[in-house]
Amino acid sequence: MTKEKWIKVFIALIVAIGLYFLPYDSFGVAINPVEKRVISIFALAALLWILEPFPIWTTSMLVIVTMLLTVSNHGLLFMQSDAAGTPYANLISYKAIMATFADPIIMLFLGGFFLAAAATKYRLDMNLAKVLLKPFGNNPKYILLGLMIITAIFSMFMSNTATAAMMLAILAPVLALFDSSDKGRAAFALAIPVAANVGGMGTPIGTPPNAIALKALADSGLNVSFGKWMAFGVPYVIILILISWFVLIKLFPIEKKTMELKVGDRFLKTPKAIIVYITFGLTVVLWVLGEGVHGMDSNTVAMIPMAVFALAQIITKDDLKGMSWDVLWLVAGGFALGLGLQATGLAKDLIGAISFDSLPVVALMIGSGFLCLLMANFMSHTATASLLIPIIAAVGTSLGTTLAPLGGLTALIVSVAFASSLGMSLPISTPPNALAHATGFVDTKGMAKVGIVIGVVGMLLTYVMMYLLATFHVL
Amino acid sequence: METINIICVDDQSDVLDAVTRDLRSLEQFYRVEGAESAEDCLSLMNEMDERGESVGLVISDHVMPGGNGVELLQKISSNPIFKETRKILLTGQANHADTIRAVNEAHIDNYFEKPWDPEDLLATTKSLLTSFVLDKGFEYKDFLPILDQVVLLSYLKKD
Repeated sequence: MTKEKWIKVFIALIVAIGLYFLPYDSFGVAINPVEKRVISIFALAALLWILEPFPIWTTSMLVIVTMLLTVSNHGLLFMQSDAAGTPYANLISYKAIMATFADPIIMLFLGGFFLAAAATKYRLDMNLAKVLLKPFGNNPKYILLGLMIITAIFSMFMSNTATAAMMLAILAPVLALFDSSDKGRAAFALAIPVAANVGGMGTPIGTPPNAIALKALADSGLNVSFGKWMAFGVPYVIILILISWFVLIKLFPIEKKTMELKVGDRFLKTPKAIIVYITFGLTVVLWVLGEGVHGMDSNTVAMIPMAVFALAQIITKDDLKGMSWDVLWLVAGGFALGLGLQATGLAKDLIGAISFDSLPVVALMIGSGFLCLLMANFMSHTATASLLIPIIAAVGTSLGTTLAPLGGLTALIVSVAFASSLGMSLPISTPPNALAHATGFVDTKGMAKVGIVIGVVGMLLTYVMMYLLATFHVL
Repeated sequence: METINIICVDDQSDVLDAVTRDLRSLEQFYRVEGAESAEDCLSLMNEMDERGESVGLVISDHVMPGGNGVELLQKISSNPIFKETRKILLTGQANHADTIRAVNEAHIDNYFEKPWDPEDLLATTKSLLTSFVLDKGFEYKDFLPILDQVVLLSYLKKD
C-alpha cells in the first residue's frame, strides 16, 4: 500500500473510533455501546467509500465482518455483554447479517445478471441493437436519439458499464471518421454514459441503487413490484432521454450530414439461442404481470432464468465465475448497514432525539435528493445509496403521514435512489463516464456541463412525477 | 496500483535504447527494463516476481549470444507464473523454421521485423498490455489513460 492509502485508512479509522467515544448522553441521545459501534461502522464505511483506499466492494466485506464480530449475537465474547456481564439486548442475529448475501433482492439481481450474460453470449444484444437502430435512418441527429434509446433500454436489464462498453465499441470507429472540429463527436460520446445511467433507473434491476431502495421499502412494509416500478420508471426514462438528447444536440451541434453504424449480423437460430430469446421474453412478461396475476414475486421470477440457463448449459461454470459478484457483495454491505441501523434500534433512538417533525417535508425531500446527487457525482452510486437510503428511510418512517401529500415514503426513497443514478458530471462519477472520457472525444468540461444540467433537470422531473403520482393516488 | 514491467531483450544496447525511447510515453504506468541476454531476462523476471511485481510484456530479439530469443520466449510461455505475460519477437534474422517455432511453441503474440515502425510497436504494446491488465483482473481504472479502447470495451461488454 502506498503512503496515500495509509493516510486515508488512518483518517477513516480515527474518525470511526473517535465517534465511539463521543459523549452522546450530553447531546440528549441515549444509546448503548452496540448502537455506538454501529455509528462507528457506518462512519468507517462512509469514509472508505468516499476516499476509496480499497475497491468499494471490499469495504462492504469489512462492514459485514466487523458487524459480525462486534454487534452480532455470535461475535467476540467481550462485545456481547457490558462490564457487569449482562448481555446486550439489541445484538443482531448473526444469521440475519450473513443472510444479506442471499437477500431476495440480491437474487433478483443475480437473475438479472444471468439474463444479461445469456443475452450477450448469444448476441441478442447486438442483433437487437441492429433492429432497433434501423428506423432511425442515416441522419446523425436521429441516430444519436436511437442510440440513446437503445442504450437506455439495454441498461434497464444489463449493467450500466457493460451497456456503455458495448455501445461505445460500436461508436468509436465511426466517431473516428468525424472531423476533429465536429462538436458532434462529444454529443455521441456523452450520449452513451448519459443514456446508460438514465436507463438504469427504469427497472428495479437496472442499477444497484434501485436494489437498496427496494430493500428499504420492503423493510418498511412497502412492496414495490417490478411492474409498478416500471410503470413510473419507464415514462421517466423516456422523458429524461428526450430532454438529454435535446440538451446534447444544442450544446454540441453535429456537423456531419450522414453516418452509418455497423451493428450485429443475423439472429442465431440454434436451439440454445431460441431458449435464450423465449426465457428472456417470458421472464420480463412475468415480471411485468406481477404477483397479483401469477402469485410469484419478482425475486422468485428472477430465479427461473437461472435454472433454465443452467440446465440448458447456456450459462456454464465459467460464465458463473465471470459474473459481477463484487457488485452483489457491495450491495450486501449496504443491506447490512441498513440492518445495523434498524435492528439495533439505533435509527429509532437517533430519530427520537432529533426532532424532524418541525422540519418542512418538502425541504427534507429536496434536501436529501440534492445531497445524494452531489455525493453521487464524486463516489460510487451504489455506495451513495447504501449510506443515504437507510437514514432517509428511518427519517421518513418517523414522519409518518405528513409525507403523504408528496407521495409518502415510497416517493422519498425512490427520489433518493434516482438522485444517486443522476450523478454523472465527472469522469470519476461512474464507470460509463470514465469509459466515455477515455475515448478522448469529450473533455471534462463538456461532461460537467451536460452532467450538471441533466442531474438538476432529472431531480426536478423526479419531484414533479412524484407529486403527480401522489396527487392521483398512484403511489 | 500494480507494478507492471515491460522487458526488452537485445544484446545491442542501441536497440534497447530505441525500444525504451519508443515506449517512453508509457513510463508513467509501466516500468520499461532492458536485458542484454536471455539469461539476464529470466533472472530479472524472477526478481520482479519475488518483489510481487508482474511482467506484462517481453520484447525479445532472436539471435543473441548465449541462448536465442525463441527459446527464451518458449521458456516463458511454459512457465505457469508467467502464463499471462505477452510476448513479442523483434528480429531481423529469424528464418522460416524459427518463426514457425515462435508461433507454435513460444506462442508469441506478435512478430516485428527490424527496422520496426515505432508507432506500430507502441500501439501493439498498448493493446497487449490492456488485455494483460484485464486478464490478470487488475483494477483497469488505474491504467485507463493508456489502455487500448477497442480491447478494453470488448472485455467490459461481457461484464
